[in-house]
Amino acid sequence: MNDDETESDGEIRASVEPVSEDAPSSPGSSGYVGEGGSTSATTGSQFEIEHEEIEEDTTIDMDRISISDSHASWIPGKRHFDEDDGSISWRKRKKHFFVLSHSGKPIYSRYGDEHRLAGFSATLQAIISFVENGGDSVKLVRAGRHQVIFLVKGPIYLVCISSTEEPYASLRGQLELIYGQMLVILTKSINRCFEKNPKFDMTPLLGGTEIVFSSLIHSFSWNPATFLHAYTCLPLAYATRQAAGAILQDVADTGVLFAILMCRHKVISLVGAQKASLHPDDILLLANFVMSSESFRTSESFSPICLPRYNPSAFLYSYIHYFDADTYLVLLSTNSDAFYHLKDCRIRVENVLLKSCVLSEVQRSLLNGGMHVEDLPPISHSGSSHLGQHMLPSDSPDRFREANSGIGGPAGLWHFIYRSIYLDQYVSSEFPPSINTPQLQKRLYRAYEKLFASMHDKGIGPHKTQFRRDENYVLLCWVTQDFELYAAFDPLADKALAIKTCNHVCQWIKDVENEIFLLGASPFSW
Amino acid sequence: MATIGHNNLNAKLVDPSTPFRFPLFLSQYFVSDDLFLSSFRQVLLGDMGAGKSSLVLRFVKGQFLEFQESTIGAAFFSQTLAVNDATVKFEIWDTAGQERYHSLAPMYYRGAAAAIIVYDITSLDSFTRAKKWVQELQKQGNPNMVMALAGNKADLEDKRKVTAEEARVYAEENGLFFMETSAKTASNVNDIFYEIAKRLPRAQPAQNPTGMVLVDRPAEGTRAASCCS
Repeated sequence: MNDDETESDGEIRASVEPVSEDAPSSPGSSGYVGEGGSTSATTGSQFEIEHEEIEEDTTIDMDRISISDSHASWIPGKRHFDEDDGSISWRKRKKHFFVLSHSGKPIYSRYGDEHRLAGFSATLQAIISFVENGGDSVKLVRAGRHQVIFLVKGPIYLVCISSTEEPYASLRGQLELIYGQMLVILTKSINRCFEKNPKFDMTPLLGGTEIVFSSLIHSFSWNPATFLHAYTCLPLAYATRQAAGAILQDVADTGVLFAILMCRHKVISLVGAQKASLHPDDILLLANFVMSSESFRTSESFSPICLPRYNPSAFLYSYIHYFDADTYLVLLSTNSDAFYHLKDCRIRVENVLLKSCVLSEVQRSLLNGGMHVEDLPPISHSGSSHLGQHMLPSDSPDRFREANSGIGGPAGLWHFIYRSIYLDQYVSSEFPPSINTPQLQKRLYRAYEKLFASMHDKGIGPHKTQFRRDENYVLLCWVTQDFELYAAFDPLADKALAIKTCNHVCQWIKDVENEIFLLGASPFSW
Repeated sequence: MATIGHNNLNAKLVDPSTPFRFPLFLSQYFVSDDLFLSSFRQVLLGDMGAGKSSLVLRFVKGQFLEFQESTIGAAFFSQTLAVNDATVKFEIWDTAGQERYHSLAPMYYRGAAAAIIVYDITSLDSFTRAKKWVQELQKQGNPNMVMALAGNKADLEDKRKVTAEEARVYAEENGLFFMETSAKTASNVNDIFYEIAKRLPRAQPAQNPTGMVLVDRPAEGTRAASCCS
């Protein structure tokens, strides 16, 4: 399977001339590692070098990396304010994101101080303008190991510079999500400001939101929703989810546009008013916005929020309330005076959730986790299944031995992601002991991302199945009109057994679909 | 019981070893939630980082976070207190100070009976911004609105850029009352809310005064040292 990007119209391929090691790094040279500019770190450098975010010559000893570095303990917020495009550490970063205006003014940068990157922003703007002046549009520049991806959204330009080897489609999708997150905060009406004043400075309007963008960018390393364009549900007993759905439906009937009950980034239940549909990307951006802003945890909040796929030009008014550290309710209305009504709705919802023990079930589900490949029922098994039914007791010596052997599920199954096309939902198994560090998890995530992109590449596909084997995994992908299955196996796994196991996973998912999917919701028409 | 001062034990208190104690007079006016007679909407306005959320959190929850994140939109709190023979329920809107939310401010101050305009005594810009909020409220707000000017971060005396005298003169000229506050040390925080409550249109006396449950607070000297007392 050829994984290379197919060239699209207007794509520019650039090769950067190598610069001698001794030559000073000029503003004109790219300065990226191995592509010119100085590559040797200065002695006594005080740069805080983040693992996995910086290009290093040394290989990483995976065994010595602590699990505490996972996304759960990741600290959100802007990094490395002191850096600019003259800093060696800044140039070594594996993945940059930039947002700038069409006049070249910086709006957002993942690393470094926006104002100190004004010159660099102007350079990016010049590249885009130069190509546009020739009646074309620049989409991708390749420079050595780096890809430079451009996305033009009216007066706003978004750029990603990456050496992570992620597919073009994935990186472009990430830029789309960053733009979407900007719309969540400001709506598309921001364009009018640029019409009035082309040199309009947008940065003050995004004041205090660095944490929202850094959290979204971090999710590109762990959240499959960012490339699957589907949402995931918290596993719950059917009756529990129904109880939550029923009360949300009641409040939706009183004039609430959308009622969404979530636990972290997972949906418990959601209901929309008649004919109102919610795109999975909007759920992702909304959840990121709520979860990354500590402000929402302090009290009841009432805030204007835009759902870009629903209506990018207008605000909705959101009432946000946390029931506990993980579970929160978002009620959306088109009415700016709806606060007291939404507050009453929340009180009704909370009473029902407490009476029907939904909140305690949510906490239990969080504790138990979702689907574990170790619990995949034996192939001979028939009859109804429930999550965790086949689990060995946690204190069983067999379970302990299995966990330490790192075998995972049958036929060396390590992990899977199943996406229901009809429901726009996905379910992902928990990571097994063999994939127990953030780095290994991120590597698997990136492998899935590549697999997804190649399966959906219009230039060379689409494909129905794909089987890959490398030193890390056996990867198997199966796409039908109803679902997509992505599975990772031990690299020594047998192909025939792996295929058989994938069929078995699909059957298991069918058996427990009441618990892992929100089935009542009509498909979202997008 | 709507007691104030139950510190969130998960919150990072500035100095947990010396718990914040409420002034004795608080026992005169904190009452149970279910016996309020008058409900008033109150709004906090001011520049980003002036300390609006810190003031409200100190007043409502008795807590102070050294690093308070920016408010998104507006946060809603309610607090009940008794003033003389009447009880008042404040519905407090803590608004976001960012520029992008400016146009949405009328949504929160429309119909508000009181406003606290907050500035940071270490920032001239925030004082200038506070004056603009006052002008806006005078033009577009409720004409009978009780307005207070709060010079917050009064504990940062060595970094002061706005003198108390300058602010007091401005407040008097514009019909506001003025106090310097510190959410960090709790200085004048409860007082400013109490002062607003006193100035609001006279609340009706309780129909059944014997049914009003005041929070029983022992004299300061005899109180046990507890962060939640």
